[in-house]
Amino acid sequence: MAALLIVKDAIDHGMRAHDKTRLGVDVLVYLAINGLAWIMQTSLVRGLAGVGQDVVLGLRQDLFDHLTTLSLRYFSQQKAGWIISRLTSDVDALSDVLSQGLTTLVVNTLTLLAAIVGLFVLDWRLGLVALVILPPTLVLTRWFQVKSHAAFLRVRETISALTAQIAESVSGMAVIQAFNRERAFLSEFDKANDANRVTNTYAQYLNSIFFPAVELLGVVAMVAVLWVGGRMLGHGSLTIGTLVSSVFLLNLVFQPLQELSDLYGQVQSAGAAMEKITTVLDTEAEIHDEPSAIRAPRIEGDLVLDRVTFSYGRDPVLHAIDVHVRAGQCLALVGESGGGKSTTAKLVGRFYDPDEGAIRVDGHDLRSLELRTYRRQLGVVLQDPFLFAGTIADNIRFAHPDATDAQVEDVAHAVGVDRIARRFDTGLQHEVREGGAGLSAGERQLISIARALLADPRILILDEATSNIDRPTEILIEQALDRLLRGRTSIIIAHRLATVRRADEILVMEHGRITQQGTFDDLLAVEGPFRRLAAQLKDTALKGVGAQLQADDEMPVTGSRESSSASVASSEPE
Amino acid sequence: MSRRFLSVDPPDLSLWPTAKGLARLWREQWKIVTVGLVCAFVMTGLSLAIPLVIQRAIDHAIAPKSGHRAALWPYLAVVVVLAIVRFFVNFTRRYATARTGVRVEARMRELLYQAYLRYPRAFYDRHATGQVVSRATNDLYPIRYFIGWGMTQGIQSVMMIVGIAIVLFLVDVKLAALALVAMPFVAVLTFMFGRKVMPVSREVQQLKADVTEAADEAVVGIEMVQAFGREDDVQARFGVKAQAVRDGVLRQARIEAAFLPGLLFLPTLSIAAVVYFGGRDVINGALTYGQFFLFYQLLLQLVWPLEALGWILSLGQRATASASRSFAWLQGIETIPEPSQPTSLPAGPLGVRFEDVHFSYGSGSEVLSGIQLEVAPGEVIAVCGPTGAGKTSLLNLLPRFYDPTDGRVLVGGVDARDLPIEDLRNAVAIVTQKPILFSIPLRDNLTAARPDAPWDEVVAACEAAGVAHFASELPDGYDTLIGERGVNLSGGQRQRVALARALVAGARVVVLDDPMSAVDTQTERHLVENLRPALAGRTVLIATQRLSTVEVADRAVVVDDGVIVESGTPDELLARGGLFAQLFGEEVSAAA
Ligand SMILES: Nc1ncnc2c1ncn2[C@@H]1O[C@H](COP(=O)(O)OP(=O)(O)OP(=O)(O)O)[C@@H](O)[C@H]1O
Ligand SMILES: Nc1ncnc2c1ncn2[C@@H]1O[C@H](COP(=O)(O)OP(=O)(O)OP(=O)(O)O)[C@@H](O)[C@H]1O
Ligand SMILES: [Mg+2]
Repeated sequence: MAALLIVKDAIDHGMRAHDKTRLGVDVLVYLAINGLAWIMQTSLVRGLAGVGQDVVLGLRQDLFDHLTTLSLRYFSQQKAGWIISRLTSDVDALSDVLSQGLTTLVVNTLTLLAAIVGLFVLDWRLGLVALVILPPTLVLTRWFQVKSHAAFLRVRETISALTAQIAESVSGMAVIQAFNRERAFLSEFDKANDANRVTNTYAQYLNSIFFPAVELLGVVAMVAVLWVGGRMLGHGSLTIGTLVSSVFLLNLVFQPLQELSDLYGQVQSAGAAMEKITTVLDTEAEIHDEPSAIRAPRIEGDLVLDRVTFSYGRDPVLHAIDVHVRAGQCLALVGESGGGKSTTAKLVGRFYDPDEGAIRVDGHDLRSLELRTYRRQLGVVLQDPFLFAGTIADNIRFAHPDATDAQVEDVAHAVGVDRIARRFDTGLQHEVREGGAGLSAGERQLISIARALLADPRILILDEATSNIDRPTEILIEQALDRLLRGRTSIIIAHRLATVRRADEILVMEHGRITQQGTFDDLLAVEGPFRRLAAQLKDTALKGVGAQLQADDEMPVTGSRESSSASVASSEPE
Repeated sequence: MSRRFLSVDPPDLSLWPTAKGLARLWREQWKIVTVGLVCAFVMTGLSLAIPLVIQRAIDHAIAPKSGHRAALWPYLAVVVVLAIVRFFVNFTRRYATARTGVRVEARMRELLYQAYLRYPRAFYDRHATGQVVSRATNDLYPIRYFIGWGMTQGIQSVMMIVGIAIVLFLVDVKLAALALVAMPFVAVLTFMFGRKVMPVSREVQQLKADVTEAADEAVVGIEMVQAFGREDDVQARFGVKAQAVRDGVLRQARIEAAFLPGLLFLPTLSIAAVVYFGGRDVINGALTYGQFFLFYQLLLQLVWPLEALGWILSLGQRATASASRSFAWLQGIETIPEPSQPTSLPAGPLGVRFEDVHFSYGSGSEVLSGIQLEVAPGEVIAVCGPTGAGKTSLLNLLPRFYDPTDGRVLVGGVDARDLPIEDLRNAVAIVTQKPILFSIPLRDNLTAARPDAPWDEVVAACEAAGVAHFASELPDGYDTLIGERGVNLSGGQRQRVALARALVAGARVVVLDDPMSAVDTQTERHLVENLRPALAGRTVLIATQRLSTVEVADRAVVVDDGVIVESGTPDELLARGGLFAQLFGEEVSAAA
C-alpha cells in the first residue's frame, strides 16, 4: 500500500519535477517496502496457517469427543457415513478456508482498507465518486449470501448422503457381489453422485456470477473516477499524478475485493459445513450424567431390575420386567429370538434408560451414578464382537490399557486365544484389521471375551458371546470364567442350552416378558417354555446319546412338537 | 498348479502416469473444457484491452501531450462495454471450468465406485472401510479444485503473462526486457517448490484417510467403546491422528510460505525497474504518461497471474498427489479373473466337488490343505469343526470370494473359474456368517438377490426362514426401514432375514455359514423342520457349531486345521467317538 503512495510520489515529484534522484530514492523505498511485505507475508502465512489449523484441530477433536458421548440411539438412527462426513469433509471445508482464507482475509482486508483510506487521503472527492458502487455491491453480496448458503447446505447434505452410500456399500460388498447386485448399487450410487454433482454445479454457478459481477463494478468505479477526474483536471482542481494514482489505488481496491469475494464463496461453503457440524455438537446425549450423579463406588454386584418397561419406538420391547441378581450370582437369559434379551443387557449397561421402572446396582439407581465410573466396572461381550485395528494384544488390553504383557498372556492363555495366535508368526502381536477382518468369527469372539476378562469387571455381561465357538473351547472359557471371575455377578445370554447350565438362575424371556424362572433342573422338570427350548434335543437323530434326557423327560416327541406350536402359556413366577 | 496372489495394495503412481490419467479425464469433458479455454483466451484479450483503452484515454483525453484534449466519454464508453462483455465471458469461463471440475470429480468417483464393485475380498481384507471411503470422497476434492479452477486459470495465467510480455515489447523493448528479467527466477522457484511439496501433499492425503478410518472405526465400534467407558482412550487416539493431519497441513503451509511470497516479490523487482527506468524515460520525454501507466498497470496485472500460478502449482501438487493414489487403485488392483473361454452350467441340480483344494490368505500358513469333498446334487451337507478350522474359508471358495491356491472347486462338474462370475454367483447363494443387511425396507432386503421375485415366493421363504414370525410385529411390517447393519433388529432376526434372502434368490447351490447361531433353539427347530422342504432339490453346505443345526443335513464332515478328518451321518459320527463326538456329544449330555 505504502508502495503505491511511493509510486505516486515518484510520478508527482520525480517525473513532474524531473528529479531523477528523487525517483531513485522512491524506487529503493518501494523495493524495501515490498521486501518487508514479503517477509511479513511469509511469517503471516505460517502464523495464520498455524492459527487456522489449530482451530480446525480443536473443532475436529471436540466434534469427535462429543460424538463418543452420544447415545446408542443416535448411532442407530444416523448412518455411519453421514457421521464420518461431518468429521472429515465438513471439517476439511473449514480447514480450507481457515488455512488459506485467513491469510487472504488479513492481507486483502488490510490492503483494501489502506487503499480506501489512501484514496480519500489522495483526494476525498474521487474517493466519494468511487463509493457510488458501494450500494450495488452490498445488494449483490446479500443476494449471493442468501442463495449460496442454501446451495452449500445442499452440497453438504448430498456429499454426506453420498459418503453414507459408499460406506454402506463398502461394508456390505460381500453380499452385493455374492448376489450380483453390482448394477443395482451402481445405479443407487449414480443417483447420489449425480445429486451431489448437480448441487455442486449450482453452487459453482452462483460463484461464477458473483465474482465477475464484482469485477464489473470495479470497472464502473474506475470509469466514474476517470470521468469525474478528467473534468476536475480540466478545471485544474486536480493534478495528473493524483488522478493516475487514484486509478492505481482503485485497482488496489478491486484486486483485494475480488479475492475477498472469492473467499466469500469459500466462507459460505464453510459456513454451511459449520452449520452441519453444529447440529451434531448441539445434539445432547440422551444418556448423560445428572448433576447430582455420584462416582460409582466399587460395585458388589447386587442387580435389580424393578418393573422395567422399555421401548425403542412405539411398542414396548420390555414389559415391566422384574429381575433380581444377587451379588456373585450368575444369571442366564434364554428365550425366543427377538424376545428382549439383548435389550435387557443394554439397559444394564445403561445404553438406554428404562421408560418406566428402575435399574439398581447395590441399591443405587443407575441414573444416579456417573456413567463412566459405572461402565468401567462392567465387562461386556456384545453379540456382534467388534475388534479395533491393532494387534490382538492391543485389543485384549482395550479395557485395561496398562495391563502388563504377562497379564495379557495369562488371559489369552486362559480362554485359548494363545492357541489361535500361535497360527500367526507374530503371535499376540498379530495385526488385526478394523472389525477384526482377518480372523474367523469364533476367534473374534474369543478375543473379545479375553478383553472383557482382563477388564476385571464387577459385573460381566456375555451376550451370545460363544455362539460361534465350538463347545469344547466354550468349556475352556467357562473354566476360565469360574477361575478368574469367581464371585462376580454375571449375566449370560445364550441359546445353546449347555451354555446356560452353569447359571444359578435362568430366566426365560418371550415377547419382552419373563415367562419362566428357576434353575436348569427345575425348569426342565416342569412343562413350560424352557422345555420347549430343550425339546429339540429329543428329536434329533441322536437319541442314543440323548437317551438320558428322554428318561428325565417323559413327554413323547410328538407332544413336544404340539406344545411348541401351542400358544405361549405365561407362567410368570413371582 | 500354484497361483500367485492377487495384487491388492499397489504403490502410488508416479507423476507422469498420474498427469496422463488426469489429462485423459480432462479431455473427456472436452466440450466444456473448450468453452472454458476459449473464454479464458477472450478474457485475456479483454483484460489487456481495458488498460490499453484507459491508456489512450489518459494520453488523448486527460493529459494529452499535444495539448489538444479529445472527448473523454467515447473512451469510457468503450471501457464500460468491454467490461460488460468481460463480465459475461468471465462468467461463462468460470462456470464452464467449475463444471468441468465437478464433472471430473463425479466421473472419477464413479470409476472408483465401479472398481470397488469389482474388487476381490482380498482387497477389502487389506483396506479398512474408512480408507476405501476416503479415496472416493476426500481424496477427490483437490482434483476438483485443480481441474475446476486451477487448470484453466493456469492456462489463462500463462496466456496473460505471454500477452503482457508481447504488449510490453510492442510499447518499449528495453522496458519490456527489464520487466521480464525476473521471469527465469520465477520459473526456477516454481520448479523447486513443486519438488518439495509433492511428497508432503501425498502424506497429507494419507493422513486424512487415516482420520476417516479412525472416525469410521469409532462410529461403528461405539458400543464397545462406551461399554467399557473407554471414550477417553479412543479420543486420545483420534486426537493423535487429527494432530498428524494438522502437522502435515502445516508442513505443507510452511513450504508454501517459503515459496509463494517469493513468487510475489520477484515481480515487484520488475515493477521497481519499470518505475525507475520508465520514470527516467518519462522525465527524458521518451515515454508518455499513458504509456507509463500502461506499463505499470500491466505489471500489476502480472502480479495476480503469477500469484495464481503459485497457488495453481500447489493445488496441482495436491491434485496429483490425490490422483496418484486413486489411479494406483484403478490400475493396480487385480480383480478375480473372468474365464477366457467361459463354459455354461448344466441344467438341473448342481453337485459340488472340492478337488485337493489348498488355500491360504497370502500371509501366514495354509488355511486349507488338501480338501477332498464331493457333495451330490440335492445333498445337504454339514461342515463342522472347531473355531478357526477353516469352515468359512472353505465355503467362501464357492462364490469365488477367493480362488484356491491349489486344486479345483467344481460346481455342476465345471471348474468355478471357467464359469462367468455372474452365472456362478447366480447359481450359488450365500448366507455370510455375520449377516449383512442394508438400510432399505425389509421387503427390499428380502428381495435384494432377486428383485423380481413373486411376492408369494418371498412369503414362502419368510415362512421357512422364520421371518414371517416377527415381521408382522415390526412397526411397519415388511415395509419397516432396516437400520444400517440391521441395527433395529435382534441378532437372530438379522440372521433369519439373511437366510430368507438366500432362499428367495432361488439358487441351486446354497451356502449357509452358521446361519442360526443367534436364534433360539425353539426357533431353530422350526427352521430346521421347514428348511428341508424349502431346500428340496438344492445342494446345501451348512457350517455350524450346533448339533441341532447339523440335524438338517444328510451328512456331516468335520474340518480340522484345514483338512477333513471325519465324514458320515451325524449318528455314525457321534457313535465313532472322534472329533465330532467331542464337539457335540457334550451338548447332548448337557441337556440331560
Ligand atoms: N435399535 C433398535 N431399534 C428398534 N428396535 C429394536 C432395536 N434393537 C432391537 N429392537 C427390537 O427389539 C426386540 C428385542 O430385541 P433384542 O435384541 O433385545 O432381542 P434378543 O432377545 O436379544 O434376540 P436375539 O436372541 O435374536 O439376539 C426385537 O423385536 C427387535 O426387533
Ligand atoms: N481374511 C482373512 N485373512 C487372513 N486370515 C484369515 C482370514 N479369514 C480367516 N483367516 C484365518 O484363517 C483361519 C480359518 O478361518 P475361518 O474363518 O475359515 O474359520 P472357521 O472354521 O470358519 O471358524 P469359526 O468357527 O470361528 O467361524 C483362521 O485361523 C483365521 O484366523
Ligand atoms: Mg467361520
